[in-house]
Amino acid sequence: MDCREFQDNHLAFIDDTLSGIELVGMLRHIAECENCARHDATVRRSLMLFRNLPRIEPSPEFSERLHSRLRELRDTERSATFHHSGKFAAAVAVASMLMLGYISNSLKNVDSPRDIVFPPVVASLPEPELAPITTPAPALVASAAAGLPIWTAALFAEVQPLHFASADLRLTSAH
Amino acid sequence: MRSIARKQEIPNQGATVRERLRAMDDSAVVTAFLGGEERAFSELVERYQTRLLNFIYRTIGDREKAEDLVQDVFIRVYRHLHRFDRSKKFSTWAYTIASNLAKNELRNRSRNPLVLMQTVQKNWQDDDRPLQFEDTTSRPDDMYRKRHLREIVEESVAKLPEHHRHVFVLRELEGKSYEEIAEITDCNLGTVKSRLNRARNSFAEIVAPYMD
Repeated sequence: MDCREFQDNHLAFIDDTLSGIELVGMLRHIAECENCARHDATVRRSLMLFRNLPRIEPSPEFSERLHSRLRELRDTERSATFHHSGKFAAAVAVASMLMLGYISNSLKNVDSPRDIVFPPVVASLPEPELAPITTPAPALVASAAAGLPIWTAALFAEVQPLHFASADLRLTSAH
Repeated sequence: MRSIARKQEIPNQGATVRERLRAMDDSAVVTAFLGGEERAFSELVERYQTRLLNFIYRTIGDREKAEDLVQDVFIRVYRHLHRFDRSKKFSTWAYTIASNLAKNELRNRSRNPLVLMQTVQKNWQDDDRPLQFEDTTSRPDDMYRKRHLREIVEESVAKLPEHHRHVFVLRELEGKSYEEIAEITDCNLGTVKSRLNRARNSFAEIVAPYMD
């Protein structure tokens, strides 16, 4: 075992929590290494001094002071409980009164029959849809025999009655 | 919950109850208190007041303040005992509360160095401290030497860094296990061991010149 390992195990060595083999190793190292032996002795002696420091005792008024604080605490807790329970009781009373009032009012209304009143019916006229204005062009139709030369056609045209297709100008939307 | 539980009483009266409480372990005393036996709390105070006082005193170095903090510990215990997890040790819980209060006190002081200085001076100049370190049958020069040594030891503890001192006091003065210290200080086991080792070495180094 070297000094480093000794230092690492020193906490457990002081507290006596090392295994048998480790303990033998530590003891052997102390026997061989003067520095580590001195360090071990110094730590053990200083700890002994600390552990033997006088224990202080609570002052004579400690208990009285504590009990007085505890009494205050109990009183505060009790008054807080009473305060809260008083508030709760008041809230319950108010709520009960309101509930009773509501129930009695409802029962009163059940005995007197009333006319059934329907809500007013509100109807609205839809706005008329505006269709686009269309103006069909008047048609001119002339019946004439086909396949004739122009001049005969012209001759016939004088003889043939002219028929005009009737075309009305009207708005589609009007129908 | 506690108020309901308090309706149950331990049947025996007076001194018999106290004797029975004294014979119980912490867990049983806690159960008795939660069952409505108010005297059980006095038993807990009796058991822990001196231990907690010494622990806090060695941690913060101010006796008066330590007493105040011990009172605060018991007030908290009284108020919150119904919430205490009874599968755990009562002592660990009480020390955890004490440890947190001591840490808060040191934190507050570090923000106000004047208070710290005044407290330390007052402590070291206080002649009313018990002189149990001395043997009254010793010669005056021996008594002086021992008293001086005690002051050196106390000063040396105070010189340790706060988190080292905390672990050191819990282990060397209160005899807590590593696991309990880890729980009280909210550190892992490795940290506790490392801090304790360093604290021991530092303390030995400071005290060594005065030991020969």
